[in-house]
Amino acid sequence: MKIVIIGSGDVGSELSLMLAREKQDVTVIDENQTALQNCAESNDILTILGNATSPSTLVKANVQQADLVIAATNSDEVNIVASMMCKRLGAGKVIARVRNDELLGKDAPIKPEDLGIDFIINPELSLAEEIVLLVKRAAATDLIELAEGKMQVIGIRLPKDSPVINLSLSEYAQHNKNIDFRVVAIHRGAITIIPSGKEKLRANDQIFVIALSHDIKQIIRSTGIGERSVQEIMIAGGSQVGRRVAQMLQAAGKGWHIKLLEPDYDTSYQVACEQRGILVLHGDPTDPRLLASEGITDTDVFIAVTNDEESNIISCLMAKHLQVAKVIAMVSKPDYIPLSQTIGLDASVNKKTSISNQIHQIILGENLLKVAALNGIDAEILQIKLPATSKLAGKAVNKLNLDLCMIGGIIRNGEVYIATGDSVMMPEDNILVFCKHSAINQVVAYLQ
Amino acid sequence: MINRFQFERTESSRPKIDFKLIAGVLGVFTFFMGFALITPALISLIFGETIWWVYAVAALTAFTIGALAYYIFKPNSDIRAREAFFIVAVTWAVLSVFGAIPFLLTGVLTSPADAFFETISGLTTTGATIFGGISHNGHENSDLESLPNSILFWRSMLHWIGGMGFIVLSIAILPYVGLGTSNLFQAESSVLESDKLTPRVQQTAKYLWGVYFLFTFLHFLLLWIHPKMDWFDAINHAMSTLATGGFSTKDSSVGYFNSAYIDYVIVLFMYLAGISFAMHFRLMRGEVQNFLNNRETRFFSLVSLLAIGLISLGLWLQNDYSISDSLRYGSFQAMSILTTTGYGTDDYESWPAFSLILLIALYFTGACAGSTSGGIKMFRHLIMSKAILREIRQTVHPRAVIPLRVGNKIIDPSVVRKVLSFFMLYLILFVAGGVILALMGVDYVSALSASIASLGSIGPALGEFGPTDNYASLPGLGKWLLSAFMLIGRLELFTVLVIFSVPFWRE
Repeated sequence: MKIVIIGSGDVGSELSLMLAREKQDVTVIDENQTALQNCAESNDILTILGNATSPSTLVKANVQQADLVIAATNSDEVNIVASMMCKRLGAGKVIARVRNDELLGKDAPIKPEDLGIDFIINPELSLAEEIVLLVKRAAATDLIELAEGKMQVIGIRLPKDSPVINLSLSEYAQHNKNIDFRVVAIHRGAITIIPSGKEKLRANDQIFVIALSHDIKQIIRSTGIGERSVQEIMIAGGSQVGRRVAQMLQAAGKGWHIKLLEPDYDTSYQVACEQRGILVLHGDPTDPRLLASEGITDTDVFIAVTNDEESNIISCLMAKHLQVAKVIAMVSKPDYIPLSQTIGLDASVNKKTSISNQIHQIILGENLLKVAALNGIDAEILQIKLPATSKLAGKAVNKLNLDLCMIGGIIRNGEVYIATGDSVMMPEDNILVFCKHSAINQVVAYLQ
Repeated sequence: MINRFQFERTESSRPKIDFKLIAGVLGVFTFFMGFALITPALISLIFGETIWWVYAVAALTAFTIGALAYYIFKPNSDIRAREAFFIVAVTWAVLSVFGAIPFLLTGVLTSPADAFFETISGLTTTGATIFGGISHNGHENSDLESLPNSILFWRSMLHWIGGMGFIVLSIAILPYVGLGTSNLFQAESSVLESDKLTPRVQQTAKYLWGVYFLFTFLHFLLLWIHPKMDWFDAINHAMSTLATGGFSTKDSSVGYFNSAYIDYVIVLFMYLAGISFAMHFRLMRGEVQNFLNNRETRFFSLVSLLAIGLISLGLWLQNDYSISDSLRYGSFQAMSILTTTGYGTDDYESWPAFSLILLIALYFTGACAGSTSGGIKMFRHLIMSKAILREIRQTVHPRAVIPLRVGNKIIDPSVVRKVLSFFMLYLILFVAGGVILALMGVDYVSALSASIASLGSIGPALGEFGPTDNYASLPGLGKWLLSAFMLIGRLELFTVLVIFSVPFWRE
């Protein structure tokens, strides 16, 4: 696939890295020589120096031949203009990163279709959505919605006194016969396991369970973790993401008390003007005295989403130390993500995973509908549509020869089912498959 | 290029305060005042009075002087903010001089101080008067009912043109006053920046005067249909009410008619005149939601209801009035003071303390910005209340960043600062006025109340200058002082006071 990426900032460079690894032909356009060099250094990509709003640059990057163009600079306007030009020049699919909702959102006078833009991505928004989900399920370390929210994959860290410890997965399923669920991945230490039924659970394991959305509460209860009720929420950082999170938590209408800390006075004033009903505080989120005076000890959820990752980690650790039940940090440097799990952050979210999930959803073929990566661990979720002539059709799941992957759910005519050993697959089913990153190609080949 | 160069040269060669320009613009307004001076001449002719020539002379003087000033000075450059303040303040003073001519020429008033006081009280819609009152202070010329009808009409006319603003009227009607008219508009009217109806100030001024005229006419009709009102009284009271002025054609003010219907119609129109005319226009344009959601209008309505309710309750409980009488007199007097009109239907000085104190508190309110009322105004009270609430919250969370909100609107810190300094200055002027009057031998109740009644353009005060008395007994110097206070209050303090500041004159 020929892919042109416009902009080599944080989003653009991450995308080029990800797509280049998947052996796509990636061309990156940027005005900034240094950013471009950094991007090209460890990557097998072509770089074009120039302004993305100038047609000659776009032609130089050969967008007219491209199957996919992703405009991902920091400027909404540049992205929109560049996308429009690429479409006119003959590019295949065009994706624009647009952060401002007003621009091309639901109520906007111009729709993306009008401009020839196929998809809009908004990493900040999806990140905020992810955080809000995590707040709503305070016990979860990860929460991913599948099949339009009918199914969820939840990540849970097993406490030492959990009743499921030392049970094998099949025993665990036996104990909870009334719920349909599957443990699809286990993260233990630094390794990820796609488990079989004989795998035994251990303390401190992070397990990923797929279940129907309304069963998630029971799943959490079965692991011995009580659902904590959330009252007080503190957000550190009035960044794009922080504002979104505050706004969405507020809109959830659960009567949560939300405080937002922002070290810059002008930004904090701006946030306070935008958001009604939340308390905006001017101060450094890593200052323990400020945290104490604003009642960090009564806080149930602490969310650190400043643009400074180190400060996010530090303030989260501080909050954890002060007995905050749940801390969520925005950590984007790939190197920090495994670290954040080890040092005890309950959940870390990450702009890049969320972008790559979005892009994958868009670029993959018709039969491979959706791919999401689980944050920080080596496992992917694929949604694969079985061909009409599939040789697997009519077979039960446990009759398949599956070492590398696990089938978690089946979507058939809009209905969702959790796959158990004797679920039978039909042609044109959409099946949800969990596998290690390295096995994607093999799994896809086998299933199709 | 050449044009631009010339422009820069003429601009830079202009002095900081361009007196030629000011004199020229003043000429325009003076000329325009001539038209207003013709109207009582017509009334005079209708009633067969012999004094119509007085108005003709006054009008002719205004026309001549105005035209001369205009042709000599030919104002054609932009009116800048500084000049706008100066022009507005001086225009009001100059117009008061011309407006005083009929009082002196007809001989109903003999002292210039009295005539100037009466005129500026009319123009600023204060309604403090040399005439009338039922308990005569032994003054010969105090009977309103013995005055010529044309003089009574002239008093109402002064109210009416001053209510929406003479300069705003000029901007609406005159084809071209000069660039920078929006500066004049801002300096004279209390219409908030966000309330501007159209991008062009002339159009806004037209709409405002249109609504004003329409309401006056409606009010006139509703008064006229009552048998106790003839067309002349109806016109005068309609003009006076809509301007929230307070001049009446009767010595005992609206009380003369002794009709609940008339009282309540006037209460309704005082309330309407207390709301921003820009809001009225919006309502007529169909923006109902906009009207209902306006925080200042809501706050004003709430304060009105509270004031009427409590004052009437006090009258009912402590003043052996019947429920209906309590409500009638209570609501009339409350609205009269709250909207800074100053009509009377009852001698409120004899009311029980509870109702009286509440009424005195209303001397410090004023109605909405953009209405014809004067005083501190509701939006300032609203902002100050919000600032107090915010201060309380800030004490609990010292690091909290809490923007001041009125409705969904964020009030900029600079606005809050302005409002607070306005209020402080208002109080200082109030006390200073009282002190100076006391120095002239006025007793303390009369002195303080006259000070606030003039500053807030209310009119009747307490004590010597109460609702049943008049200002004739005030020493001449006191009349000049209160005239200045009325002007300062009507133009919202800073427009006038800035002229007396050092930085204003500095290059």
